Amino acid sequence: MKPSLESLRPCLDGAIPSVVATCARDGTPNVAYASQVHYVDAEHVALSYQFFSKTRENVLAHPYAQVQVVEPGSFRHFRLRLQYQRTETQGPLFEYMKAQLAGIAAQTHMDKVFVLRGADLYRVLDVEAVDAHLPPAPPPPDALIRLRRALDVLGDTTDLALLADRALDALTQGFGIRHALLMMLDEKGAALYALASLGYTHSGIGAEVRVGEGLIGVAARERIPVRINYRTGDYTYQAALRAASPGEPRIALPILAEAHSQIAVPLIHGGRLTGVLVAESEDDACFSHADEDALVVYARHLAALISQAACEADNTDPAQTDPAAGPSGPPLAVRYFAADHSVFIDNDYLIKGVAGSILWTLLNEHATNGRHDFCNRELRRDPRLPLPDFGDNLETRLLLLQRRLAERCPAIALEKTGRGRFRLALARPLSLDAR
Amino acid sequence: MSIELTVEQVAFLQGPASINLAASGRDGWPCVCRAQGCAVARDRRSLTVLLSARRGRELLDALDGGSSIAAVFSRPATHATLQLKAGHASRVALNAALKACNARYAQQFADELMELGYGPDLGQGIVNLMAASDLAALRFVPEIIFDQTPGPAAGRVLAAT
Repeated sequence: MKPSLESLRPCLDGAIPSVVATCARDGTPNVAYASQVHYVDAEHVALSYQFFSKTRENVLAHPYAQVQVVEPGSFRHFRLRLQYQRTETQGPLFEYMKAQLAGIAAQTHMDKVFVLRGADLYRVLDVEAVDAHLPPAPPPPDALIRLRRALDVLGDTTDLALLADRALDALTQGFGIRHALLMMLDEKGAALYALASLGYTHSGIGAEVRVGEGLIGVAARERIPVRINYRTGDYTYQAALRAASPGEPRIALPILAEAHSQIAVPLIHGGRLTGVLVAESEDDACFSHADEDALVVYARHLAALISQAACEADNTDPAQTDPAAGPSGPPLAVRYFAADHSVFIDNDYLIKGVAGSILWTLLNEHATNGRHDFCNRELRRDPRLPLPDFGDNLETRLLLLQRRLAERCPAIALEKTGRGRFRLALARPLSLDAR
Repeated sequence: MSIELTVEQVAFLQGPASINLAASGRDGWPCVCRAQGCAVARDRRSLTVLLSARRGRELLDALDGGSSIAAVFSRPATHATLQLKAGHASRVALNAALKACNARYAQQFADELMELGYGPDLGQGIVNLMAASDLAALRFVPEIIFDQTPGPAAGRVLAAT
């Protein structure tokens, strides 16, 4: 029985170079190494086009090729008969291959040489198992079992804070992932911010990445999972950090100093991108094709739960007003810059954007009217807040603000008092200053 | 006048390089097969490559049908790569020296990959795969040699008849 192309996906991760044979119009053969043979679907693969080569010249003139791929672990060979279809120079396939090539290039110390100019798409006409008599490589961990375990841990809570934490804990218990980030798309769809993180020395909550930049940004812009199996300089999170002017405050995105495997999977629900789930590892080839499949399913489930959590009706009952301890001690200096809604506490940057604007609004309501208790509904309607028409970002922004305060300024706290209700708790008096 | 390979090229071709051969089949389709050893003639003007007849059935048939041959040698540790081409290749009888060449090659190639961190499973896989009882030997006289080390200069002609 001929193996399916799907069953050869472990051969297509760049661990062992593939070889491509072509013929010139006069029949002269050519044989060369292919940097990347990318699985597209059950009938297609794509080869990276980095510079004009004899291989490329040949297939443009005589559109047939035979590619030899090797299974890591067993060294079994397979041969694919291919027919060239077209070259893509933009879009999801191109972007995915560009990201993966960056990983392969770094692994082979060819960073300066490997620049993707196109993704050459081929139809697979035949698959031949050259070494059918040899034992196959040991099977990788079953991704379906990993997925089920992760979903069991995730559960079906509609509490956003719980969901954000469980989303990453479940990755550890399901997939053995130790380092992960939950990034949410901002109101303008221009950047993503970290809502939860796992396994880093600093949480990085609130850190931003521009859509389109780096691994995370490409996954968001193209709405595709992007997986890199080897350490790369091109697509590091450092490069993905939102470009900022030197004076612009920002929160550092947590990264592994030596990330060898990285994967970014978009959160999509109801046709809308809501964020990106990111995982990384210090081991090479940590995430398989099957893991990618499983994480795509996981991310879709998570996106649905997050959307559901954001749409839950608010509790309209008045909050129980327990007497809160009054603020004491020297006042905290809170400065607000309207230009970017950034808030500084005692000269330390806290937050900006929608979350900064929310905080400033709450603090002013408290200072002017003595209010402690608030509800999400009034914030959604507040003209002072730069929220879009769809208000499901409010919950994630409030959670971001709550966590950032807990990390950087526990004297100001947002305490949940019911669904869609919360209380501003101040342990210190405040001095408010708007610029 | 045929090309005389340099001493360095001979060492490279007989070293732990990954070797793959290609030809154009009778139906016009390109075909490829991994080789498992190379012996350069004393005069440095021809070489003999070894492959499993079963694994290379299609390639051998193509060559029997008159196809020219292309052979690519790439050193995994450095990515240094040469491609040699010739108008034809002829089968030669296997002898003890060529069998020893095959065994030596399998071990040194496996060692090379294991040193690069590929792991003992893959090393053993190579030795298993190359322990062929159906070795075929192909001799050809290179007519053109290309530097094919990855990069924009790949494809530079190093020598030609």
